[in-house]
Amino acid sequence: MPARTYSPPWRRGVGYALLIFFAVVFIGPFLIQLATSFKTDADAANNSLSLIPHPATLSAWKRIFGFTENAGIPFGRWLTNSIIVATFITLGRVFLDSLAGYALARLRFPGRQAVFWSILAILAVPGAVLLIPRFLVLKELTLFNTYPGMILPIVADAAGIFLMRQFFVNIPTTMEEAARIDGAGVFRTYWSVILPVARPGLITLTILSFQGSWNEFQLFLVSTSDPKYNTLTTGLAKFSSGQLGAGTQYPLTLGAALLSTIPMAIVFFAFQRHFIGGQLAAAVKG
Amino acid sequence: MTSSVGSTTGTAGTGELAGTLEATAAPPPRRPRGRGSALRRQNFATSIRNNFYFVLFVVPLQTALALFLAVLLNNKFLRGRSYFRTAFFFPSVTSSIATTLVFLFLFSGGGAVNQLLGYVGLHGPNWTADPRGVFHQALGAVGVDSTPGWARHEFFNLSWWDWFSGPSIAMIVIITLVVWTTSGTFMLMFLAGLQNINEEVLEASEVDGADAWQRFRLVTLPMLRPTLILVLTLGLISTWQVFDQIYLTGNNPATITPAYLSYNQSFQNSAFGIGAAIAFLLFALIILLAAVQRRLIGTGEDD
Amino acid sequence: MIRRTRAPLALVAGLGLMLAAACGGGDSGFSNGGNASGGGATTGVKLTMLIGSSGDAETKAVDDATAAWAKKGGNTVTVTPAKDLTQELTQALAGGTPPDLFYVDASKFAGLVKANALAAYGDQMPNKDDFYPNLLQSFTSDGKVYCVPKDFSTLALEINTDMWKKAGLTEADYPQTWDQLDAVAKKLTTGGVTGLVFNDTLDRVDAFMRQAGGSLLNADGTAFTADSPQNLTGLQFVQKMAREGTLKFPKQVDTGWGGEAMGKNKAAMAIEGNWIVGGVKNDYPNLHYTVVPLPKGSQQATLSFTNCWGIAAKSKNQAAAIDLVKYLTSTDQQIQFAKAFGVMPSVKSASTQFSQQFPDQKAFVDGAAYATGPTSLPGFDQVQKDFDSKILGLSNGSSDPKAMLAALQKNGDAALKANN
Repeated sequence: MPARTYSPPWRRGVGYALLIFFAVVFIGPFLIQLATSFKTDADAANNSLSLIPHPATLSAWKRIFGFTENAGIPFGRWLTNSIIVATFITLGRVFLDSLAGYALARLRFPGRQAVFWSILAILAVPGAVLLIPRFLVLKELTLFNTYPGMILPIVADAAGIFLMRQFFVNIPTTMEEAARIDGAGVFRTYWSVILPVARPGLITLTILSFQGSWNEFQLFLVSTSDPKYNTLTTGLAKFSSGQLGAGTQYPLTLGAALLSTIPMAIVFFAFQRHFIGGQLAAAVKG
Repeated sequence: MTSSVGSTTGTAGTGELAGTLEATAAPPPRRPRGRGSALRRQNFATSIRNNFYFVLFVVPLQTALALFLAVLLNNKFLRGRSYFRTAFFFPSVTSSIATTLVFLFLFSGGGAVNQLLGYVGLHGPNWTADPRGVFHQALGAVGVDSTPGWARHEFFNLSWWDWFSGPSIAMIVIITLVVWTTSGTFMLMFLAGLQNINEEVLEASEVDGADAWQRFRLVTLPMLRPTLILVLTLGLISTWQVFDQIYLTGNNPATITPAYLSYNQSFQNSAFGIGAAIAFLLFALIILLAAVQRRLIGTGEDD
Repeated sequence: MIRRTRAPLALVAGLGLMLAAACGGGDSGFSNGGNASGGGATTGVKLTMLIGSSGDAETKAVDDATAAWAKKGGNTVTVTPAKDLTQELTQALAGGTPPDLFYVDASKFAGLVKANALAAYGDQMPNKDDFYPNLLQSFTSDGKVYCVPKDFSTLALEINTDMWKKAGLTEADYPQTWDQLDAVAKKLTTGGVTGLVFNDTLDRVDAFMRQAGGSLLNADGTAFTADSPQNLTGLQFVQKMAREGTLKFPKQVDTGWGGEAMGKNKAAMAIEGNWIVGGVKNDYPNLHYTVVPLPKGSQQATLSFTNCWGIAAKSKNQAAAIDLVKYLTSTDQQIQFAKAFGVMPSVKSASTQFSQQFPDQKAFVDGAAYATGPTSLPGFDQVQKDFDSKILGLSNGSSDPKAMLAALQKNGDAALKANN
């Protein structure tokens, strides 16, 4: 039973004012981004705060979608690559992480704790430290400038394994015992009995994996040098840090950045619960 | 063994690769200094300094903002909180490259931020082009204009005066960007923590006569301690690795960080040995921070 | 249930990936069918080329030229304009899959030779003697001519003629000395326009230092002479204009380079090389400008820049690549390039034709007589970056010219030592 059932209006007013202020701060940049994509280069530079293009133009969008002569950006190429790698990484992660999580949660084998901690430790090495080793290893395996080279290094991740293990640990063992009594082997038990129950965890894992692979930058940066493998992240980054003023074509870069955010935004709004659930699970793990 | 690690290009056969294979075959030296030019040491020192101030500003700011927003969203009397929660969390799911591009636009010389500052009569600097340190600026405002003699001595090829420069104005842009991006994630953690707080304890303290601020300070905060430690340590660990945003601001001494320097040395200057050494040091630092985190929080795992 | 089929699907996908990896590691497109030796074939070859383009005009010109050659010989050439040539080339070289051809800047040449990245094909060029000797020298190491220059540029002063007229100035007022430059820049700095904008890099500031009689290296390249009174004079002049606000650097006016600043009407004058012709042609067609020689300090001086067609030592198609270079450096083709994006031909046989066809680039051509090339020293890149990063500080007093030169001297000495 809540202790207080009344809050003075002024307090609520202040509360709403603060909420709205921060909402503007957090969402404002996206609105500006949208507005800028419809402006001309000059208008974007001179009136960057204004949410109303003056004049409104589709030239940036035309360049993104390749409708103009002028070298735009190979957005289609970037999008395709992003979709390809994100799909394979997500599938891989869901498959491998859930298997690993189950094994670590349920199967008893000697050294299980040690394996668990070493997996976490190894996979938790930060990406920035791995830039050079990944490049060198990929080169040695002749996977440099290939799709497998972009996928394999991150096809399993520590957070995902941890997440799935948590879910499996929380499933009562009675279900498995029942299945065992009925004569099911380990894999069959896993497949038909456990996975359906761990569905929320799997969905969360799928969404977080998609987010991670869609936004991945560092691995793609070091695993490829050929522009035909650029994803949305590496393509935009290389385009904007280029020579001779390419970085100041704001409507173009901001429009492309916005487009690359939209798939994530859709996934986010559709599956909010799971995003937030994933974060809270991380908090509980802490 | 050690001479090949410091060279910019390989010593035998096909250039860089021979050098890098040698470099990775032998354990990299723990201390890359003492080798190579003074410029390398200065760059390394600069990157550490930049990252240090970055961490110093980002971690408290994002923790405070996240906590503030969580408390705000925990208030039962405000409606539509879930929409606001979505709004605050949304920047966290976008890619770092996309958001950095937006912020570089907002903070450009004639950009939105400077326009806003103009409305209140301030003349904003040319943010990303300004390498001056914030502390230097503040000291300059009170009349300390040039390097005092004692601060001219160098530590790692960087004068003490430069060590105490504070984050550069260009770095402020990145700091703002990162706080904006990550506060949402930590806000959710604080929310979870707040919702775990037992209502009855709060009620009891109110009955005892504590006002809102005292309740917060003496009841809520202590009960949030585990979450607070988690947020702080996660923040520490991630801020020392900042790379994506730095990549977009280029090879600018005002913003380079060890992660970026490692990349730059390897892929721009073919000095893979130096890059690997820097990455190794960074790794050691992060392991240290992770160990501290584990000690403070405990594993929470049995079984 | 959907999940039932997901794992087998993923399994198949995973196996598929493994197979793809095993079968030659994906399509890199760098080798043609069955050519094992150093690249003897000259038809049916697929070549890749990485260029550091100054803009759309240059990219298109190179595309057209290579396409013409490709059609003639039944080959294909893929031209990629690099966003950051140095970084992309370094990564490609380190990754073992470099493009067959790429631009090599004179200042980066020494480093690439040291890394054994270049094939030395200079002697196989029939028109080797037609190239300007000092340009060839920039690409010669140990007596071997590694690659041939594709063109060259010199720095000159570009002036927006519309703004010039509006300020009431005439042709007689084109600045020929530093004082005159200072005066006209002051006159032209009004409203949102800055008198002079040029990139904050040694590749511009060095022109002023040389005009004051200084230099970075001594005559035989054995010692650094950065910390000299003449260089200080040059640097201090730059500082003077920067503090007055008559000189700004591109970042300060939200642009990437001088040409863009002129095109966006943020600058009345800029200091750029021939590439400005191609760089502003498409993006800023309404820009009217003229080119005059850089003003004199105590002497006339300017900087020259040149690139060569580098062929990768690892390339499997060297014969075809050399054939392409022959085509691209022919007199006719170089004039075509000049027309498209304003660079000057690197062959003597094209010089009269160039001067006749492009009289408005006279200042660039004349500059060739007293221009000096960039410093080519492995490891100098870092030294230059360090110096460049301080140039912007000259405008707000946070950088001191003496300290900058002292650091340049120290770092330059270290770089020299590291190479000997």
